[in-house]
Amino acid sequence: MDLTLNEEQLMFKKMFADFCTKEIRPKGEHIDQTEEPPEDVLAKAVDQGFWAALVPEECDGCGMDVYTFTLMLEELGRADMSTALILSVHNCLVVKPLLEHGSDQQKAKYLEALSVGERLGAFALTEAGAGSDAAAIKMTATRNGSGYVLKGSKNWISNGSLAGLFLAFAKAEGGITAFLVEPEMAGVKVGYREKTLGLRGVPANTIYFDSVQIPEVNRLGAEGKGMEIALQALSLSRLGLAAIALGAIERSLEEAVDFSMEHIQFGGPIALKQIIQNYIADAKTQIEALRSLVLRTAWLADSGQEYTQEASIAKLFGSRVAYEVTNRMLQVHGGYGYMKDYAIERYYRDCRALEIIEGTSQIQQFLIARDIYKAKGLEIRP
Amino acid sequence: MKIIVLIKQILDPAGILVRRDKEKMFINREEYILGPDSKAALEATLRLKDAGGAEVIALSMGRPRAEDALREALALGGDAAYLLSDEAFDAADIPVTANVLAAAVQKLGGADLVVAGRESGDTSAGQIGSRVAEALNYAQVTDVHVLTGEPGAIRATRRWGGGYATVQAMLPAVVTVAREAFPARYAHGARIMNAYREWQVTTWNAADLGLDEAALKPLLAFRGESFPPPLPVGEQVKGAPASAAHELITALKLQKVIG
Amino acid sequence: MDFSFPKEHQLFRRMVREFAENEVKPLAKAVDREHRVPLETVKKAAALGLMGVPFPQKYGGMGGGEMGYCIMMEELGRICTSTATVIGAHTGIAAMSIYLDGTEEQKQKFLTPLASGRLIGAFGLTEAQAGSDAAAIKTTAVRDGNHFVLNGAKVFITNGDIAGIMTVMAVTDPSLGAYGGITAFVVETDTPGFSIGSLENKMGIRGSSTAECVFQDVRVPKENVLGQFGAGFLTFMKSLDIGRASLGAACLGGAQAAMEGCMEWTMAREQFGVPVATKQSVYFMIADMAAEIEALRSLIYRTAWLIDTHQPHIKEAAICKLYGSEVASRCIHKAVQIHGALGYSRDYWVERAYRDARISEIFEGTNEIQRIVLASNLFRPYGLRIPS
Repeated sequence: MDLTLNEEQLMFKKMFADFCTKEIRPKGEHIDQTEEPPEDVLAKAVDQGFWAALVPEECDGCGMDVYTFTLMLEELGRADMSTALILSVHNCLVVKPLLEHGSDQQKAKYLEALSVGERLGAFALTEAGAGSDAAAIKMTATRNGSGYVLKGSKNWISNGSLAGLFLAFAKAEGGITAFLVEPEMAGVKVGYREKTLGLRGVPANTIYFDSVQIPEVNRLGAEGKGMEIALQALSLSRLGLAAIALGAIERSLEEAVDFSMEHIQFGGPIALKQIIQNYIADAKTQIEALRSLVLRTAWLADSGQEYTQEASIAKLFGSRVAYEVTNRMLQVHGGYGYMKDYAIERYYRDCRALEIIEGTSQIQQFLIARDIYKAKGLEIRP
Repeated sequence: MKIIVLIKQILDPAGILVRRDKEKMFINREEYILGPDSKAALEATLRLKDAGGAEVIALSMGRPRAEDALREALALGGDAAYLLSDEAFDAADIPVTANVLAAAVQKLGGADLVVAGRESGDTSAGQIGSRVAEALNYAQVTDVHVLTGEPGAIRATRRWGGGYATVQAMLPAVVTVAREAFPARYAHGARIMNAYREWQVTTWNAADLGLDEAALKPLLAFRGESFPPPLPVGEQVKGAPASAAHELITALKLQKVIG
Repeated sequence: MDFSFPKEHQLFRRMVREFAENEVKPLAKAVDREHRVPLETVKKAAALGLMGVPFPQKYGGMGGGEMGYCIMMEELGRICTSTATVIGAHTGIAAMSIYLDGTEEQKQKFLTPLASGRLIGAFGLTEAQAGSDAAAIKTTAVRDGNHFVLNGAKVFITNGDIAGIMTVMAVTDPSLGAYGGITAFVVETDTPGFSIGSLENKMGIRGSSTAECVFQDVRVPKENVLGQFGAGFLTFMKSLDIGRASLGAACLGGAQAAMEGCMEWTMAREQFGVPVATKQSVYFMIADMAAEIEALRSLIYRTAWLIDTHQPHIKEAAICKLYGSEVASRCIHKAVQIHGALGYSRDYWVERAYRDARISEIFEGTNEIQRIVLASNLFRPYGLRIPS
């Protein structure tokens, strides 16, 4: 067993840290306050290869392994969670499924555009009546002459208004099926943008598919393979969210440590108070536990092993810890932590999303428990 | 002006769950409140008091617990409160109730104006105002939506076919008011405290009112209750709120209910 | 033992609930979004005696005692934490400090306009470097003939910019420290030299204002010394002790609202073909909320009873604030979870309630300070002094 980073990983890590700290971190407050999607930051991230993180080198991508990719998300999470989520969705939920299930023709058509910043990916699964119960989607894909007609609408689609390519899921005759939908196709409409507690730089929109004619070549994988594609992609993105959570709580700890050394009460910095020290020590402990979990799960993925359950665990644990740590680090700030002038206020709101998006904690708990019982021969249902 | 308001305490309908399908009524929370129609009657009266000054006396026939409704009337702005309570009233039907109330009004030396709700929030008979007016031989105006005072008279706007009519009634008179036309005010907190701590509710029984057995003999007898037939189910829209709302709006537009 | 509420308090609760539902609720979303104080609500509340609930009627109050006050705070907390904060800071600490330690003349002159709601009150304690360490204040008051001259700045003052009267804690003798060297004053905010600095941009309770208040040679007549000269720290701590019970009551309302909202939503929302209320992950969360809420309710009203019957209550009030704020946070955290994506949306009340709830673990003494207060009270009988 060897947990050290190899030379390439080290180089990447340094590059991520440099770029995120210099280019993204200073923008975090502005992104949150204006709620403007960080388009300039995303454009700069193209040159760093953030859009093509998982694309193999032979296709002009970065060819990162999963572990390196989690390092990237960690640094992004430390700098700004909105930017981190946008890139996580793009890479995990659109680029990766295209790489794994796309035909050569599909890759030829979209991979470059996705890599060079021309098309940002968005994952269109959730509907108003199908949140945790993803299989309950109502959008339909009806076959006609040259392909399919998509009818329905999707809610809460991250990257919605920025998207250059939707990976959309609809019910076809053979079951739930994945489609690559371009926003310029006739009938695709970007609707209402949600106003959210946090992650305010991520546009989350309703997307209408109003009798969209899709050529058959834009079907990703076979008919009926949609849920499998979605779940596989979600596994990676759940690991990705854990990595973002890790970056977020590292940042929260940094903020709280700095504040506690500067803020004087009872004649000295509050850092000298035992309760503050305890909060800080607990946070650090949770950070390192999460880091190990992310690392091991990434290793499973990189060594080609099954990691679906571990991804759920990482997401469940990471999001819970993210809440607990940001909550405590806010408490260290006292009244200042409640004011928008301090980054911890933003991180507290941003992190709350992690327990909800891409499968609520309750769904992760269900998935984990289901696997445990399944191994013993008992089938449980949601 | 001396105004007597007739009020009634009712079981809070918000605490009752009616299951038509099982033909059962569940009382989840047994709480008695000042009926909304009585509150409207009080409001109409208090507006007259605000406009031109008046002495407002609240009057209620009921069980001892109805004292709470009278105290609420005091909190809302009443000047005095009388509870008419006696085991002999327990079997009272509407004519008997009207007799008791009219006797109390007379014992109070009569009034310039008697105000009641159009109907009660529980039994909804809508007869009390008229019967009390008959018993006292006062003028009466029912279902009043606007009420103002004039020297020796009141001016009242009541429902009239599809519209309204305004009438003038010489005092003494009885008016019953429409619940929807007089949304009640909030009681001032200090008056709420004083209604229980400082102010009194006077209780009169049958003997105090000089009512004998004959006057309390009901003309009606209660013989049970039944549920109305189930409502026919119309078109139902199901699903998540957002999509259901969308569907509903589309359906309403198709039927030209909305534009 | 009799745990029932007096009838006048039952009727009062019904009135406040109607008031909150009909007058406060329609504005709750807008005041949060527009970041403004609902002064129109304050005016309506004043007309009903709600700006002076705990105080005797002879001072323009409502005469509802601490119990009545907690009832109102619970009902307001159930609907709009911002409104509860505005009225709470005004009543529970600002007017309360005058009621507790003011002279008869001061009560007539300052408490009466506050209790009747003619003026809004603010409580001027916190400074940039004196938050939890309240005794570290730097604002000074120097005697000049029949006046004291105040200089300094207070931060995070709820109602600071809308207050007509502010109670202010200032150092009168730096050599004597917290006990002896600090004096409380009543300051009329139209006194020359008083000004508002910046207004805070907060995560939640955005329908209440949090202001920086600057004192530049503010001349206050010596008659405005509140309580004993040099004993201002005690006056302020006494007010905070009582304020903590009602703060817990507002948290109780918030927690109750979270639970009621969750019940409504989970009965209507269907996933996997059934209402989500039938899922154990969901209804266990609701059951846990109910358990904590009932425990909190007992605690709050028992403490109110202790205060109304003039029994020792410092420890209990600290527990009200500590436990109340944590119960509210836990309940609203679960509520966001139960509502899923809807709970994260600013179009829905849950998101606002989540942001609003977080302040209760911080203001009027962070929960860490409550633990210090508690531990000090627990160990004191044994002669052990707990360092802050």
